[in-house]
This record gives sequence, C-alpha cells and structure tokens, in this order.
Amino acid sequence: VIPMSLDVLRTSGLAVLQAAGLLALAPLLKTVIKKMKARLQNRQGPPLLQGYYDLAKLLRKEPVRSETASWVFVAGPRVYFGAALAATTLVPVLVAAAPLEMAGGILLLVGTLALGRFALATAALDTGSAFGGMGASRDMTIAALAEPALMLGLFTSALAAGSLNLGSLVRTLLQHGVTFHPSDLLAFAGLFIIVIAETGRIPVDNPATHLELTMIHEAMVLEYAGPDLALVEWASALKELLYLTLLVDLFMPAGIATSAAPVGLVVALVAWAGKVFLLAIAVTLTESTNAKLRLFRVPELVSISLGLAFLALAIRFL
Amino acid sequence: MATSDLLILCAAGMLVSAYLMVGQKALIMAIRLYGFQSLLLGALAATIAVSASRPELFVTAAITIVLKAMLIPWFLMRLIDRIGIHREIEPFLNVPTSLLICLGLTVVGYRVSTGFPEGGQGVSHHLIGVALSMLLIGLFLMVTRKKAITQILALLTVENAVFLVAIGVTPGMPLVVELGIAFDVIVAVLLLGVLVRRIVDRFESMDVSRLSKLKG
Repeated sequence: VIPMSLDVLRTSGLAVLQAAGLLALAPLLKTVIKKMKARLQNRQGPPLLQGYYDLAKLLRKEPVRSETASWVFVAGPRVYFGAALAATTLVPVLVAAAPLEMAGGILLLVGTLALGRFALATAALDTGSAFGGMGASRDMTIAALAEPALMLGLFTSALAAGSLNLGSLVRTLLQHGVTFHPSDLLAFAGLFIIVIAETGRIPVDNPATHLELTMIHEAMVLEYAGPDLALVEWASALKELLYLTLLVDLFMPAGIATSAAPVGLVVALVAWAGKVFLLAIAVTLTESTNAKLRLFRVPELVSISLGLAFLALAIRFL
Repeated sequence: MATSDLLILCAAGMLVSAYLMVGQKALIMAIRLYGFQSLLLGALAATIAVSASRPELFVTAAITIVLKAMLIPWFLMRLIDRIGIHREIEPFLNVPTSLLICLGLTVVGYRVSTGFPEGGQGVSHHLIGVALSMLLIGLFLMVTRKKAITQILALLTVENAVFLVAIGVTPGMPLVVELGIAFDVIVAVLLLGVLVRRIVDRFESMDVSRLSKLKG
C-alpha cells in the first residue's frame, strides 16, 4: 500500500509542479509576443513583466457582475481556468512523459479544452447581453471547425507513433529518430492555423481591439471584470503556451529529457524554451504580415487547416 | 537531418503552398506563395546537387531561384500594380468545395504515383506523389479561376510540378533543354502579361468569363 501511495504522491506532485510552472510562464509568452509585434512596428512595446502587472491589477479589483447573472456566469471563468490547468498535466514539457498520462491522451486533452470553451460560452450567454451572445456564437462557429482539425492533426502524429497517449507518443518519436514524412509538414501547417484561430490571433481575431464588428473572444468575455477577467486572460495565455508546447512535442521533440537527470532537464528546459520562442516568432510574423480577415472568411481559413489535417492523415495511408 | 528528409520537406512544402493557393483569396498572397514554392524547388535542386554530386543541378537551382522565385513574382506584382485591378480572386467554386476537390486530387495523385516503377516507396514515392498532386491542383486552379493572372499562376504551378519530377526522379535534363524551358517560361509569362493587359484594356476587367460575351 505504501509504495502505491508514494507513487500517487509523486505523480500528483509532478502534475502540480508542471501546471504551476506553465501557469507562471504563460503571461510572459503573451507579453513577449506583444513586445516583438511592437518592435516590428517600430514601437517600444510593454515591459516584459507587463502580463504579470495586468493580472495583479485585475486580481486586486472587486468583481462587478450584472444583477441578472446566475451561478453559470460565476462558474464560467473558473471552469475555463480549471480546464486549461488540467490540460497542461496531459502534455509532456521537459520530460518525455506527461505527469497524468495514465489518465488519458489526445482525446482527453481535446475534450478538456472543449469543456472550458463550453463553460465560457454558456457563461457569456447567461447575462443575456447582445455582445456575450454574439461572441459565444462566433467562437462556437470557429470551434466547430477547429476542433475536428485539431483532432485530425493530432491523430496524424498518433498514427505515426501508434499511440493516442501523448507521453508514449513522444517517447516513440524519440526512439524512431527523425524520419520525416510529408504528412508531418501538412499536419504542422494545419495545426499552426488552428493555434492562430484558437488563441484569437490576427487573421482570425484581433487581441488588441474591442471593435464590435470583428471581435470574437473579446466579445464573449466583455462582461467580466476584476478577478473573473484575470482568470479568463490567464487561462487564455496558458492555452496559448499549451498549444505551442503541443506543436513542439509532436513535430520537434528532439532535446526533451528521457530521464530525471539534472543535466538532461536543464538541456530540455533550454531546448523547450528555445523552440517555443521560435514558434512565438512565427506567430508574431503571421500577426504582423497579415490583415484581419472578414468574419465570414474565417471559416474558410479554418477549413483550409481542416483540409490540410485531413490530407496529412490520408497521405499516411498512401 | 538526412538528405531524404530535406527533400521530402521541400516537396511537402511545395504541396502545402499549392494547397494554400487554392484556399487563398488575396492575389498578392497567391503570387508570394508561388515565389515561395519556386524557392523550395530551387532548394530541392541544390540539395540533390550536393548529395548526388550533380553539379549541373546548381545551374538549375540558380535559374529556378532567380527566375521563378524573384523575377516572375516581381513582374506579376508590377502587373497588378499597373492595371490596378480589384485584388481579390473570384473563383467559380467556393473555397471549401475547392479544398475538398483538391484533397481528392491529392489522394489520386499519390495513389497513381505508386504505379510508377520508382514510385513504390521511399523519397521518389513522395516526390512523384507531390508532383502529380500539384499537377492536378494546378489544372484544377486553371479551370476554376476567373482572373487571367491566377490562371498564369496555375500554369506556373503545373510547370513547377513537372520540374519537380524532372529534377527529383529522372537522371536529369541536358542543360540546353533546361535553359530552353526557362526561356519558354519567361516568354510565356511576359506574353500572358501583355495579353492580360489587353484583356483589361478591352473589357475593363481581368475576368476571362467575360471573353465569351459579345461586345459591340
């Protein structure tokens, strides 16, 4: 009984550690992207800790909620935050094993993220404001296309590795060495578009404005203030970091540690940070070189990624 | 990264760019995608030149990069600047339908590639598969696009696909033939450019479906 409980303790400790680490780094990623974007536009940009200042400011304020809001409205950000946090424990970051990988793999990951999105969308509908409903409906329109594309993209890698579990998937990829297949690039391109769409970046949504005609995510969370808003923003940042980590895991796993040796962990940390930074540069460049798409064009963009992901899967069989 | 990985990466990149071209509606983006596709073709030729020690392929790579990745996109950009047309592509079919059809075409292309003696497996399987898919996608684009410039881009995509097979799978073409093809391509683009301007002058639009209408 005792070794068993020790094991449980170790696993949950690792899970908490990984979730806390990613949670601590998530606002930094968001600010880094903002800063790089500003530099490309010849602006100074915010200081690197701005993300933390913003969150601290929001957390200090008192929450303002509409009189007509029910418990759904209060629960929304909390479920969204909890779901994003739970999802981080299913993805390998530094070691080629996810802390809670025995709980489930790709399907659980996609399902957990969907749960968060569902909670936030219902919460947006709760107060009955026009903006909330509009934002929720737009977000769901995109999600309905993005989710199958995400799944197909992830399945492509799973098919190559023969496992739906992210931990064993990365281990198999490491063992086989890098054998490149055209479907890898197709799936990567598809998933990259999904990351852009899911994190509300420019061709799909503009994170910097509150323009009523175009906003998607911002419209959905317009009613929130104070700590509620902080939770939503923090969870969104965490989701972005999570998606980039997922891309790193699936398509460039080299450098990830296979044991708990300290040297390997440091190398893995540097490699992971470097690769996430590279992807952040790619996101920044995409944001800076593209114009925001008209809302009715967005499903077209997402359907491109759906097509790419499907093609990636199909080519594996040919 | 092994040479074969690099080759497959370039080929897959070309396929992705062809696919994005189908989903793309901004004319300038489509031209940039074509330039990127040609750049990858040049990189592929250079990779083979190094790995298989075929120095004559360096000439191919240089011609491809200078001509198709720089000169032709620049010329096409200038062309749309000059005639100042509406910068959106208006296809006959909507984007999701086109994407679905191109998906099917890619599957067909890949399937057919296994029929070639070299296309069974390995790198040449992917090279032939990608080339055939791009060929079919290019033909599809040519049929479904209204604007003359997008039809030129489709033709150039087909040409890239043929070049991909010629470089990647066959023992290579004589330099004279290669120079001839390069010259052909540039003359074709120039002529088509002139033709496009004539069409725009006459019909005040680049929409080739108007050509079948009578004009007094």
